[in-house]
Amino acid sequence: MRVKLFAAYALAALVLMAAAVLTAPHASYSRQDREAPFAAASRKHPAGTDALGRDRLARVAAALLLSLTGAAVASAATTAAAAGIGALAAFGKAHVGWTAMLICDVFLALPWLFLLMMVRSALPLTTSPASSAAITFLVLAALGWPACAQAVYRGARNLRNSEWMFHARAGGLRSAQMMRSVIPNLIPLLLPQFLVSIPAFVIAEANLGALGLGIGEPLPSWGGMLLELDNSATLFDTRWVYFPVALLITVLLLLEAAAGEA
Amino acid sequence: MRTLKMRIWIATFSIAALFAPALAHTCAAQAAPRMPGELAWTIGYDPKTFDPAKVDDQESELVRYLTAGVLLRFDRFTQKIEPQLAESWNLSPDGKTLTFKLYSGLQFSDGSSLTSKDVAWSIRRVLLPATGAPVAEEFLSPSGVTIDTPDLRTVIVHLPQRVIGIGKIFDEIAIEPASRPSEGRVTSGPFIVAEYRRSQYVRLRPNPHYAKHDASGHPLPYAAGVRLDILENHEQEIRLFEHGEYDLIDSLPPDYFELLKKKTPSSVRDLGPSLNTEQMWFNQAPQAPLPAWEKAWFQSRSFRVAVSQAIHRADLARIAYLGHATPAYSFVSPANAAWYDSKIVAPRADVAAAKAGLANAGFRFHDGVLQDSAGHPVRFSILTNAGNDARLKMATLIQQDLAALGIQVTVVPLDFPALIERLMHTQDYEACLLGLENVDPDPNAMMNIWLSNSPNHQWDPSEKTPATSWEAEIDRAMNRQASSSNDAERKQAVDRVQQIVADEQPFIYLVYPNVLVAFSPQLKGIQPAVLEPELVWNAESLRLEGTR
Amino acid sequence: MRPAVAAVKWLARTLAIVFLVLAGSTILVRCAPGYLSDAREMDSRYADAARAELSAEAARSGSMLHMLSSEVSGWTHGNAGISRQYGIPVFELIRPRLAVTGGLLLRSLGLAWVLALSAALLSSAGRNPSMLWQIPATVLLAIPTAAMATLCLLGDRGGPVFVMALLLAARDFKFLHRALRKAWLDPHLLQARAQGMRMYRLLVAHVLPATSPQISALASLSIVTALSALVPVEVIFNIPGLGQLAWNAAMNRDLPVLLAVTMMMAVAVTLAGMASDHPPGWRSA
Repeated sequence: MRVKLFAAYALAALVLMAAAVLTAPHASYSRQDREAPFAAASRKHPAGTDALGRDRLARVAAALLLSLTGAAVASAATTAAAAGIGALAAFGKAHVGWTAMLICDVFLALPWLFLLMMVRSALPLTTSPASSAAITFLVLAALGWPACAQAVYRGARNLRNSEWMFHARAGGLRSAQMMRSVIPNLIPLLLPQFLVSIPAFVIAEANLGALGLGIGEPLPSWGGMLLELDNSATLFDTRWVYFPVALLITVLLLLEAAAGEA
Repeated sequence: MRTLKMRIWIATFSIAALFAPALAHTCAAQAAPRMPGELAWTIGYDPKTFDPAKVDDQESELVRYLTAGVLLRFDRFTQKIEPQLAESWNLSPDGKTLTFKLYSGLQFSDGSSLTSKDVAWSIRRVLLPATGAPVAEEFLSPSGVTIDTPDLRTVIVHLPQRVIGIGKIFDEIAIEPASRPSEGRVTSGPFIVAEYRRSQYVRLRPNPHYAKHDASGHPLPYAAGVRLDILENHEQEIRLFEHGEYDLIDSLPPDYFELLKKKTPSSVRDLGPSLNTEQMWFNQAPQAPLPAWEKAWFQSRSFRVAVSQAIHRADLARIAYLGHATPAYSFVSPANAAWYDSKIVAPRADVAAAKAGLANAGFRFHDGVLQDSAGHPVRFSILTNAGNDARLKMATLIQQDLAALGIQVTVVPLDFPALIERLMHTQDYEACLLGLENVDPDPNAMMNIWLSNSPNHQWDPSEKTPATSWEAEIDRAMNRQASSSNDAERKQAVDRVQQIVADEQPFIYLVYPNVLVAFSPQLKGIQPAVLEPELVWNAESLRLEGTR
Repeated sequence: MRPAVAAVKWLARTLAIVFLVLAGSTILVRCAPGYLSDAREMDSRYADAARAELSAEAARSGSMLHMLSSEVSGWTHGNAGISRQYGIPVFELIRPRLAVTGGLLLRSLGLAWVLALSAALLSSAGRNPSMLWQIPATVLLAIPTAAMATLCLLGDRGGPVFVMALLLAARDFKFLHRALRKAWLDPHLLQARAQGMRMYRLLVAHVLPATSPQISALASLSIVTALSALVPVEVIFNIPGLGQLAWNAAMNRDLPVLLAVTMMMAVAVTLAGMASDHPPGWRSA
């Protein structure tokens, strides 16, 4: 219990620190110090600068707030959708379940990449980077649920067929009442899904940059900074490229600890 | 407790042991085994065709360059036309009759003899509409071309009209055995296609009957073969290059250049500016689905010049290309010695002048935001293709440069097909940042870009009549250089086009990226050239020394 | 339900999925921006050839309905069409790649499950399971697949199977740990442990049977994750498999190839669902 509390405080402290970094007098995540691209850590730039000479600390702080919120909200939404649809399919009429799982299977096989391209072409080109980011997370949330919904469906169906459920139904419990006792039993599935989706969405957002979606320049994208790691040339430039991934790991571990995973 | 944990560990290790071969299977496994003395490097994608007449992409063109025997070769190093299968050639004074005299005793790679009959057949095949050869267009009116073969060693080509740079066209026409097109399997060039594994590699082997010898009479090519691995990933390419699996890399991105330079300084070479340009342009097409006031900005010369003046090209070269690019103000690069004009006057970085120019044109600053005379805030998007790191960086730098003028810019990277659709079909974009690859130093090759009625006239494609007087003047000057046989007059016309473009800024030139290459110190005979194929233009003279 | 009826039902469901996926993918790809454009249009040397190919494609794909019916009739006759980018029959293109990708998938899924299951058993069985097991799993989840692959290339250690297996194992571990932990903490198990019943016996007789439905429910989740990791892994390690092909096909709007690949996705997904619905019979223990 103490661990949980500590983790929650540490997370809050991290977010506050990020906000403090951003509101500091001369902080800017977008100003390019063109005399100092890829600079090492200094008093002016405590975590050095990126390839365009922008302060890495301010960028990571802004990305933390932006991407973490986006990914966490999207992840919560997609987990909730999976839980809702999965449970509905398991406890609803047989044909509802059948249809829902059919839709899930079709959903999983379709090439959604092209839908994302269509979304981009439907948006005006001058869409601001912030709204483009919001739309991206929204789309990710809308596309992420089917695999988990299937797992929830199977888990819930097993519950439905379990002995205590038979007893409950025989005892005249209504569906809504049963759902209340089913959801806690699905937590082992839903909580990891929520936690696992967060880094996946952070990175997926950056990958969508190739389609013109995602967090546009000059807003910093956490996923974009993580993807710097796949270029061996930048790996040799500065150790600070590992900073965003280290922070992501810290945040994820704190989230897990706060959720009682430890 | 302990027993359980131990059991699980033991089970894990014994099962993992079953997978050990899978883990040992490392990343290098896909590189095909190298034959002794074979050269190896990579190409980005599968060649679309091995038929030399049908080449319509870059990698097929490389295979043709390495395999095809041609009458004339455009020497990539000296930038001059050299006879190849022809012992001599001449062009009549009216520019309509070409006469080639073949070497005697020429043979194809299968040992059959090569005569004027084969040459005539190969040229006719290229000209035939059914073949669909892209080269045919360069003859201007291919159907009117006739070919005579008075004897086995003489070929006479009659053209209906003069064609500028006619010699260079023969650099692209492979001579194949008459009536036996072989897709590169029987050639008269240094190599022949030996093996192709889709998405893996193309293997070439030397032509045993290749006509050329080195100064000491040793038959060429030296190399025992060539393997072109199909590999898109620079990370893999560089790693395999470092391991000695590849002998050369012909277009290194600047960051990888710096990485290799740190590790093995002797293997990399910056050849200076290439012929290629990176440029930005505004959509001036009247049919574009943009608001009328935006079109008015983009069609305004003062607006374009102000944007050009606000861009710090030196920063683009230094930051986006790590110094491996040269600021550009015109479409002819300083690498193009014959056509470069140092006297072009173009807008230079000058933010104050840009602001003054905008004020004169009716724009005004309001709370740090630039507005046009009707009060519309000036903001637009710059498209570029996703995956090109340098372009995205340039666009982001320009974003900040233009913020100094109070212009809000959105940078939108798109995947290539989506980008092309907007540029070529829907015209639904505001500004675009892309590069242009020039393979031919002669500006005549850029006719399609400058003529106002061409679909590749990017800022306003396929104009029925020139939209402005300066576009009309560009048309006239380009046509003048295309019809004149006088070199000085042609240069004068091209200089004029350069000056008009610098004045009007339909293309805002940004940088000439440098040619960055890497090659193994064991590779001898290499003479890097600025023109493609930079490192292997003299492939027949390349050889590996020492063991790997 | 009699097995014959079940088989017919399953077949009908699979056919329905295949048809819906075929129609859906055709519409998605055809409507995506850039279907009728080609990068070579920008290059004056190749522009004419590219435009000729495009106008042929435009004529073929002018009406969506006509295009759909021709694709469906092609597939019912066992003809998947000709690849737009390679100009050869799609089946010829896919056959050699199917084996490569199948091998990669099977090996990495197998290895991943062994790793994840044993790690989860070890971590959940302890009295006071530490972060020791969670940290490596979280680290693996936070590093993008592409970055992991690049690090492997740099270090010259490990190949595609290694990267895929680690990634999948980390994900599966997160789920398995939770499920097993819950099973160990069941009141009747706590009682049995207090009574001194041997751990191994508990595991085989109680924990695994109790969690087997949940574990098998993870199978399809795991396979779907593996399929999505295929593209970056194959692209970076340059493996001539279906993931790489699918990526190139998407970037070149190669509809016939994309259809074939999504068809296979559909079959893989339904097979994974079947595996989840029929868990191995642990209950006998």
